[in-house]
Amino acid sequence: MSSGEIFIVVFITAIILVSAALVIAMLISPRSTNEQKGEPYECGIPTRGTSWMQFKIGYYLFAILFLMFDVETVLLFPWAVIMKSLGVMGLCSVLFFLFILVLGLAYAWKKGALEWK
Amino acid sequence: MEFLTAYLTANNIIFFILAAIILVFGFLSVTTTKILRAATYLFFVLFAIAGLYLLLTYEFIAAVQLSVYAGGIVVLLVFAILLVKNLGEETEKVSCQKKLVSAIAAISGVVISLVTLFGFGFQNNESADELTANVNMETIGHTLMGVEKYQYLLPFEAASVFLLACIIGSVVVATNLKKEDKK
Amino acid sequence: MLELDKFIEWIHSSLLYLIGLDWVVSLIEYVLIGVAFLSLYAVLALILIYVERKICAFFQCRLGPTRVGPWGLFQSIADMVKILLKEIIRIDKTDQLIFKVAPFIVIIGSFCTFGALQFGRGLHGVDFNVGLFYMLAISSLGVVGILLAGWASNNKYTLIGAMRSGAQLVSYELSAGISLLTMVIISGSLNLTDIIEGQANAWYIFQAPLPALIAFVIYLIAGHAETNRGPFDLPEAESELTAGYHTEYSGIQFGFFYLAEYLNMFIIAAIAATVFLGGWQPFHINADWAASFNGIMDCIPTWAWFFGKVFALIFLSLWVRWTFPRLRIDQLLKLEWKILMPISLVNLLLMAVWVLIF
Repeated sequence: MSSGEIFIVVFITAIILVSAALVIAMLISPRSTNEQKGEPYECGIPTRGTSWMQFKIGYYLFAILFLMFDVETVLLFPWAVIMKSLGVMGLCSVLFFLFILVLGLAYAWKKGALEWK
Repeated sequence: MEFLTAYLTANNIIFFILAAIILVFGFLSVTTTKILRAATYLFFVLFAIAGLYLLLTYEFIAAVQLSVYAGGIVVLLVFAILLVKNLGEETEKVSCQKKLVSAIAAISGVVISLVTLFGFGFQNNESADELTANVNMETIGHTLMGVEKYQYLLPFEAASVFLLACIIGSVVVATNLKKEDKK
Repeated sequence: MLELDKFIEWIHSSLLYLIGLDWVVSLIEYVLIGVAFLSLYAVLALILIYVERKICAFFQCRLGPTRVGPWGLFQSIADMVKILLKEIIRIDKTDQLIFKVAPFIVIIGSFCTFGALQFGRGLHGVDFNVGLFYMLAISSLGVVGILLAGWASNNKYTLIGAMRSGAQLVSYELSAGISLLTMVIISGSLNLTDIIEGQANAWYIFQAPLPALIAFVIYLIAGHAETNRGPFDLPEAESELTAGYHTEYSGIQFGFFYLAEYLNMFIIAAIAATVFLGGWQPFHINADWAASFNGIMDCIPTWAWFFGKVFALIFLSLWVRWTFPRLRIDQLLKLEWKILMPISLVNLLLMAVWVLIF
């Protein structure tokens, strides 16, 4: 059996797990409605305004920094696999690669982008 | 009938399911009026594309697709969407003129890619199968890290400069926005 | 010896003998695989919840669950039934579609990672060439589920919880990824079978003691943060945010997040055990005089080695959880971006140099 087939089996099992549990719960759990049950939970105080509002930019900055370094990790995986056979040459090329990326990290650090304000 | 049974292999069935998912959710993600739902549908599209790569046994590319696109870009998009004002409201309906223009653009895009696809002489021979079957991590690594013909060390290093530019750009934009936020 | 791979082969051959039709046999085997993973997943969740409650109780000089069954052993089963019986409350003004889809994404992310683990010799499901990278990639889907869940609930607590959780998970994913990358240099393969076979004589943590140990510690910290627990539990800091991103989920829908959280703890510990501590490989001393010692170690079944290592790491994680106070979000991001990231990048180069020299 190939891994691809097992992957599909596992994937479908995950979906079945969630849907089956949901269906069982729907069948055996009680149901009742009243006005207050439908309100968002905010410790008993009526909620003010909508929660779908503009949010802080700080999170976005960390997300984009994450993406850059994620791409870097992805590019380094093929290198890491053959590092042993590449020898000094492989080390030097990655040294250059990482040096340039660390420049980026240092720039973000110096500009205070890594601070949480 | 014979044609059908020859065509209905497991691979083909999975391909058509994935293609249907990609098309349906792709269409939904452009037509929905709620912006975060569009991101959700896009997530399904990206996930299904990873499935396509897996079907071709390009496991590395499939994992890259999952990690960078489905796990990275979508998160970035969600954070970006949360910077929008009046997020809960539905976006306004698009005018007829805009619809027409974008339909023409989309159709011409489809036509161009179809012409290119059918114009390309695909060869169905065994050497091509061998080429794709043996892509393991060592091959990818040696191709990426070598300096000879058809090896790509220079683009690899150039990618780091590109990433540096992205980091600096995002930091500049974000720190400027932060200052505006404070004012 | 009690090895399960022989048992699996026996099932396969007897099914072929009994039925004979290839595709029926594969179909039955697919169902068996699904059921096996499903039951292992569920049983592990029950065990983990019980173990956690009991150990936490001992850390706090309490007794923990004692009423249901001997030593409260059936407490988590009772809880499971109870959670199925709870009402699923439908909140107005939520985005119902995304609200319902989010638990699916979270569970798929954790279950597909779980499917790639190697529990013993020949006892594994998905085994891709890029196994380790695949696990990193697919486990990162959980973040999307959490973000969507928090946003769709239309509640301020859930939104803040989801945002914090998203920033934390993506940040710590980086140093977890880089520390695994460090180990890939020494293993020379991403395939989990190869990685484990490479540790037959000595676990990787002993093969390159200094860089491997640094990577191990960084992976444990980052992995612990990725499970949203312990000192890193500010996405669901109960005193500030009620329950974080799953505040509005009730009944079994909440149960899915709960399930995924506990299993993620197991998965993180399992990856650490596989990559650093030899997976299901017994402890061997690579020397002539230790041959009889190695023989004794081989007598313990491989799956017992695997689960032993994993539960030891889980115990460590629980210990950390009840020892350190919660971090603030600025401290959390500072720890990742200013301490763990630079150290893991330097450690990557250190490992490359180490491999070249030795």
